[in-house]
Amino acid sequence: MTSPFDSWRGYLIAAVIALSSLGVLGQILHIQRNPEIRNFFENQKEALSEPQEKVTPERGKIYDRQGNLLAGNKTVYEIGVDVESVQEPDSIAKALVSSIGADYETIYNEIVQAKAAKTQRYLILANYIPAKEGRALLRYIEHLKEESNAGKRTPDLEGLMLIPHLERSYPERTVASNILGFINLEGVAAYGVEGKYNEILSGAPVTITVPNNPNEVDEVPDVPKGTDLILTIHRDFQAEIETLLNQALVDYGAVSGVIVVMDSRTGEIWAMASTPQIDLNQYWEYGSIVSSPSEYNRAISMPYEPGSVFKVLTMAAAIDTGVVQPTTTYLDTGSILVGGSVIKNWNEKPWGMQDMIGCMQHSLNVCLAWVAVEMGPQTFYDYMNRFGIGHLTGIDLLGEAAGRLKIPGDADWYPVDLGTNSFGQGVSTTPIQMLMAASALANDGKMVTPHVVYAMSRENGEYVIPPQIAGEPISAETAHTMTEMLATALEREGSKALVPGYRVAGKTGTAQIPTPYGVYAEDTTNASFIGWGPVDDPRFMVYVWLEKPTSSPWGSETAAPLFEKVVEKTVLFMNIPPDSVREEMAQR
Amino acid sequence: MTHLRTTISHHSWRAHRQQIGTVLAALIAATMIASLYLSVTARAALLGREIQKMEDEIQDVRYQNVDLETELASILSEESMRSRVLEAGFREVSLEEIEYIYIPGYAPPERIAPSQAPHAAEYTFHETPPEYTESLFEWIRKAFEGTAARTARLP
Repeated sequence: MTSPFDSWRGYLIAAVIALSSLGVLGQILHIQRNPEIRNFFENQKEALSEPQEKVTPERGKIYDRQGNLLAGNKTVYEIGVDVESVQEPDSIAKALVSSIGADYETIYNEIVQAKAAKTQRYLILANYIPAKEGRALLRYIEHLKEESNAGKRTPDLEGLMLIPHLERSYPERTVASNILGFINLEGVAAYGVEGKYNEILSGAPVTITVPNNPNEVDEVPDVPKGTDLILTIHRDFQAEIETLLNQALVDYGAVSGVIVVMDSRTGEIWAMASTPQIDLNQYWEYGSIVSSPSEYNRAISMPYEPGSVFKVLTMAAAIDTGVVQPTTTYLDTGSILVGGSVIKNWNEKPWGMQDMIGCMQHSLNVCLAWVAVEMGPQTFYDYMNRFGIGHLTGIDLLGEAAGRLKIPGDADWYPVDLGTNSFGQGVSTTPIQMLMAASALANDGKMVTPHVVYAMSRENGEYVIPPQIAGEPISAETAHTMTEMLATALEREGSKALVPGYRVAGKTGTAQIPTPYGVYAEDTTNASFIGWGPVDDPRFMVYVWLEKPTSSPWGSETAAPLFEKVVEKTVLFMNIPPDSVREEMAQR
Repeated sequence: MTHLRTTISHHSWRAHRQQIGTVLAALIAATMIASLYLSVTARAALLGREIQKMEDEIQDVRYQNVDLETELASILSEESMRSRVLEAGFREVSLEEIEYIYIPGYAPPERIAPSQAPHAAEYTFHETPPEYTESLFEWIRKAFEGTAARTARLP
């Protein structure tokens, strides 16, 4: 038997193999030693490796306190084409015309141009197509495949892709829209709960590897969905309050309005209505409905001069410091000089001898300015600071404004401000700030932080957000005294805010509106009312603000009767029996 | 006799046939292994595609569930319920019409029970059985380790 190396051919083959091996070895060493080439091949490896896919979890849902869905999700489709795979742009364009009402010319030209340009692999033709239309198109594609398999000539939709994804949906449409906020098409959360809790609601996206090799296919890992939120608001009550507010704008000819109902013991917001409301499923129209971001939810983001409702804080501070008692008398001459400026009553008339209840009952500016002067600026502003005036309340909604309280030392503070601030002029607050401050009066001196989220819920548990005490600006005794004073003042006056069967405490406010020219408008006012009840065991607080009512400029004629209507609804939804029934139950 | 044996053993066609037989045997063995490998790979690939398809279906069902929940919420929305209630002849109650009855021992719930809020069912998946993923060597190693463990437990 002859050896392969017996002939020159054998040697030649061996030499070729040896040289090739040496060449390969040399190239390996070359690649390993040259960083540029190494990087090139590493990049190639990355490009050819398994594609990574970002899995966005389902956004957490938002429920009201009874489990009604306020914000959920729904399926929509993105329609696109794998440009290289498309054989018949004409067929695809026609299919989209008949299924989703697309424009034939636009679709056809986009596909043809993309095929000619060869710069993109995937082309989006339409997005946010409703599930019904998307699924109908998918069924049509399946039908065509079956026909084609049966040997029939069918339009070729090769390359057409439908990718389902989720979009935010608001089943209640306008109800609680000012509280919820919304998500726009770019996925950006705006306003309200959606904005404030965006990170919690959206969850953490996970990047997964999608294997090209079917042998390596594994389960797609479960991506935890976003956290669900349970709000403190009551859907039906919220809707009722919004209806009341919208009707009040018509009845009183007001430009806008706010109603907030809060649990005085916990700070839970039961309802927060602000005008205008928008249909959250058509949020893109909000730009034409709301002219500035602060108008989206006036209750938290629109500071205004509250007027006489502010007097409850001034009087509470004065009683807490012992400067006055409810029985302290004051001779009202119709004017008082503070910081070199004359302050007058709302009717510019003297009211004679009044006790402090009378001062609150008749809402006497002169009397309250005197009380503030008696306290002195240091004490007065210390108390206002403790009440949180000029500070954010910390409510869990995006877009809260702090308002402004000028204090001694500020460049624009003048001694007369002590007098005007005492009755709510020259100071700006939001309705929610006023509610939080006055919650000290309704809650044994303890001020509660208002909040709209009751609990967070995810698959591994629930977290109930505990009520938070924001401070104790006044004593419990002062709080009880003030509540009794204000209830008596309403009763003496025969206020339209009185509710049959329920004793309530409260205060009207009629504030002039400052103009950009530094003076107050002559013919327009802000009408407000702040109140709480039942007096013996306060459980709710209500704030009403009507901007520029035209039927009457006075809070007592507009905001007060609206307060009464709101309380009638409130006691029903909060299951609060009338005072007589509760007394009877307590005696048993 | 010796001459005949030498002739037969040194006959060239016999040696060639032995070589061809060896090559053919190797080829058959290689073909069998390749066929087996292809068969297993094809089945694994089919199963992989099946898994992908099922996961797509799971995702589709999830989306349908989400849609149904939202649709149900729309049907039960405040606006919808109010119009149905009014159509049915009901009206809102006024404060004066409400009669409170004392029920000894009854205390209304003070707080919300968050668990009352509806939750979408959470799905869990069983892991893919190792038969579909492990290699032959891993199977042999596991089998060997199992045998070793059983032997170690013997008295």
